[in-house]
Amino acid sequence: MAAVQDGQLNLEVEKDIKTEITNDDSGNINANSSSPGSTSSGGKSKSPAGSGEDQQTLLAVLQFLKRNKLTESVDILRREAGLSADADDSPISESAGAGSSGAPNVGADGGDANSLLSRVSIATPAALPATAPLAPPKVVAASGGEDQPDVNVVLSAYSQQGDPVLYPLYYNGLKKFIESVLDCHRAELSQVFYPLFVHMYLELVYNNHENEAKQFFEKFSGDQECYYEEDLRILSSMSKKEHMKGNETMLDFRTSKFVLRISRDSYQLLKRHLQERQNNQIWNIIQEHLYIDIFDGMPRSKSQIDAMSGSLAGEAKRDANKAKVFYGLLKEPEIEVPLDDEDEEAENEEGKPKKKKPKKDSMGSKSKKQDPNAPQQTRIPLPELKDSDKLDKIMNMKEATKKIRLGPDNLPSICFYSFLNAYQGLTAVDFTDDSSLIAGGFADSTVRVWSVTPRKLRRVKSAADLSNIDKESDDVLERIMDEKTASESKILYGHSGPVYGISFSPDRNYLLSSSEDGTVRLWSLQTFTCLVGYKGHNYPVWDTQFSPYGYYFISGGHDRVARLWATDHYQPLRMFAGHLADITCTRFHPNSNYVATGSADRTIRLWDVLTGNCVRILTGHKGPIHSLAFSPNGKFMASGATDSRVLLWDIGHGLMVGELKGHTDTIYALKFSRDGEILASGSMDNTVKLWDTLKAFDDVELDDFTAATGHIHLPENSQELLLGTYMTKSTPVIHLHFTRRNLLLAAGAYNP
Amino acid sequence: MRGKGANVKMASPKTVPKDAQVMIQILKDMGITEYEPRVINQMLEFTYRYVTTIIEDAKIYATHAKKNNVDADDIRLAIQSRMDQSFTSPPPRDFLLEVARQKNQTPLPLIKPYTGPRLPPDRYCLTAPNYRLKSIQKKMSLSAGRITVPRLSVGAVSSRSSTPTFGTPSVQSVTTKVGTPMSLSGQRFTVQIPSSQTAASKSSTPSTPTVQNVLINPSLIGSKNILITTNMVSQNSASESLKRKHEDDDDYDAL
Repeated sequence: MAAVQDGQLNLEVEKDIKTEITNDDSGNINANSSSPGSTSSGGKSKSPAGSGEDQQTLLAVLQFLKRNKLTESVDILRREAGLSADADDSPISESAGAGSSGAPNVGADGGDANSLLSRVSIATPAALPATAPLAPPKVVAASGGEDQPDVNVVLSAYSQQGDPVLYPLYYNGLKKFIESVLDCHRAELSQVFYPLFVHMYLELVYNNHENEAKQFFEKFSGDQECYYEEDLRILSSMSKKEHMKGNETMLDFRTSKFVLRISRDSYQLLKRHLQERQNNQIWNIIQEHLYIDIFDGMPRSKSQIDAMSGSLAGEAKRDANKAKVFYGLLKEPEIEVPLDDEDEEAENEEGKPKKKKPKKDSMGSKSKKQDPNAPQQTRIPLPELKDSDKLDKIMNMKEATKKIRLGPDNLPSICFYSFLNAYQGLTAVDFTDDSSLIAGGFADSTVRVWSVTPRKLRRVKSAADLSNIDKESDDVLERIMDEKTASESKILYGHSGPVYGISFSPDRNYLLSSSEDGTVRLWSLQTFTCLVGYKGHNYPVWDTQFSPYGYYFISGGHDRVARLWATDHYQPLRMFAGHLADITCTRFHPNSNYVATGSADRTIRLWDVLTGNCVRILTGHKGPIHSLAFSPNGKFMASGATDSRVLLWDIGHGLMVGELKGHTDTIYALKFSRDGEILASGSMDNTVKLWDTLKAFDDVELDDFTAATGHIHLPENSQELLLGTYMTKSTPVIHLHFTRRNLLLAAGAYNP
Repeated sequence: MRGKGANVKMASPKTVPKDAQVMIQILKDMGITEYEPRVINQMLEFTYRYVTTIIEDAKIYATHAKKNNVDADDIRLAIQSRMDQSFTSPPPRDFLLEVARQKNQTPLPLIKPYTGPRLPPDRYCLTAPNYRLKSIQKKMSLSAGRITVPRLSVGAVSSRSSTPTFGTPSVQSVTTKVGTPMSLSGQRFTVQIPSSQTAASKSSTPSTPTVQNVLINPSLIGSKNILITTNMVSQNSASESLKRKHEDDDDYDAL
């Protein structure tokens, strides 16, 4: 059998490299999982009969067993030592899998012995005490015999140095097998190709087999899915071990487990195949680097798999998306009637009766009961409303009454603000909520603020002048402004690098900007000067946003961590760590209790502000995510990435509920209309597209199976949902904003 | 190099130096297909500077080790130390997870009501004046360095004097009774300090409390505090060698 021959060849070569101490490998494995020293891939003491080197291996193993007082194992091993290791291996690995339920990482289907196989980090002396209580001594022997991190000299040599020349053969073998299985399983099993390929390549590079690595890459990189092209390109540039050290993302990839979701049947097939063939190298790699989340049910189709895959670390484990998320909105506070005196003239007859009731009703939340899906009012401390805030809210409500109802037959008008003469330097834009100010962040490290309304921007008077004004007068807020400083725009200097993120505070007093210099700056819009520089990220900060209630803000950047700050603390309050690559987009949920971060590792994570835990991991994009938007009712989220698709997510269940195809380039701007009926998306392809979200979210059917497994079949209805495409004159759209009356504002830099 | 055929003094467009050709090839290998032509020059300059720095460092290490020739170990050491200095990478994931776990354990602090603008303590803000005004008599003593209002002069933020936000010299205006002698010509601090008030100014500069009073004026609505100018103060506390520079700035101010 070819397998046996492979095995033999393997052994020949291993003899040569036996004694290499690949300490960093074991170190690496230490970092890998909670069970240190999982030389799972190694550990197969393939000792052909009578080879001197392999005798040594056996002796080492024996020693180890003796040391740990596993006498029965010793006997068994001695007895079987004369046989070829091949015969040993399959039963050993079988039982090892079945037996090591003590292994720290339990499979997704808890309790099922077979599923545990997928999670076996076969290793570790740490696991050994755990396996000791297991009844079958054979099991102990097996697990003891396989992982010898202490005797790593011999066996870790095997573990990482499965013969490099044979890697292509192993891979080819697997490829042939997968091509021969039934169609329904093939799609699922093909998921294995990519992580396997990457890990095998990285192992070759790590062990300094540069040539073999290059050949391996050339031979098989073309087979991978097209959406992994970027990663493969990065991989191809890493041909030496030193290259790997500099690349944090690849290191993380190597140490984290790539998650695959495979149905039980397909998994059985794979397992059986890999264990009856004696090239356990692949099996080792799978067990060490892959997390196979097994589910019961129909195997998924290629399209379903494609929809969810694409992220750097595979898909999300099912239990990653199981935590309860309070996606409801916080109740609006009651506004007292006396403040409405100003409305009297403006309101028409419908307005007058309203004044008698608390204004709260007009905001929509009529029920006094707590929405079960909404967080408690006091779950996170929020700033109380000041008088100016209450006035703002009243203005908001007045404007909201004049809001246009949008729909498929009533599309919004779009007003586009083009930044001229920006010379490709416009990197961030934001509008205030009432659409009175625009701020632009530029690559020359300036921040510029313009007034959209005819009212000019004024700075507050100096302290001396302020002491002269009449503080009791009604228009004191006007008097404090210095007329001499009135101008259409103001420039804010302070950063020392391009400004990548901008956000106005809801009360229009502050402006935040985040920059490549690693700081986030708070600017006052009364004096147009910088107030605070928040230092914490030491690397470019790609995005920042104020909370919808003010006071808190988040920032995310190159250091893969998103931080939650409060304006009056110079250090962050929360750190959200978990992404594998830069965080490119950060957004607050409308109730300010959750934060969504989109990253270059192609996942979106939802974090709980209260605890800092990651409550949702959403995969499916095939490129770094550059825009996120929450629907106004808090239930849904839209995300846009460099793969030109907009994906719609149901936050409560953690599922993808829609896919909007149509753009041809990165989507940098996403915004829901004020009532959530329309989603506007702006992209580098110089267009703004409007999508019908009511229809998109209506079509979602969630039965138990889909809710449990997350496999949703997405209808191909992008064309129906597309309500309109609006082209600009070579101006990429980088920001969108719906005014309170549902007029759509867009911004971008003219780029001829 | 091709292009010998053409007897032109200028290099014909087809002649690209070998270095540039190599750089173009590198960019292609890394998958970068669209770039402006200046990028090649920038990359070449960077390469030259990097390599030169490494080799110089390696020479220093070699002489330190009393070797005659620079060998591979020296180069390796040079690369390593430069890597740790300039080309750092973000912290590893497990470290970040651990730090985040600790940070996230503390509960969110409660928000005190009605405290005006919510800003960090003053020493962490950039709202303090980083200038002081000089009197006409140029009798500046370096003891003025004491008044250095605590500034965060770490990092790029405050050391770039690129903040020409034009503020009122309200320091002075408060100590003087009326602000009128101060001519605010928009762009500059033309602070004419009448000599009668030199004493006041001199006393005001070393005395931090006066300055402080101006800073936090609770009657001001919002955060309309002292505004920032170029960073002179952080240099005040430096050594004599900066004195000259300081005086130059004085001259500027007095104009």
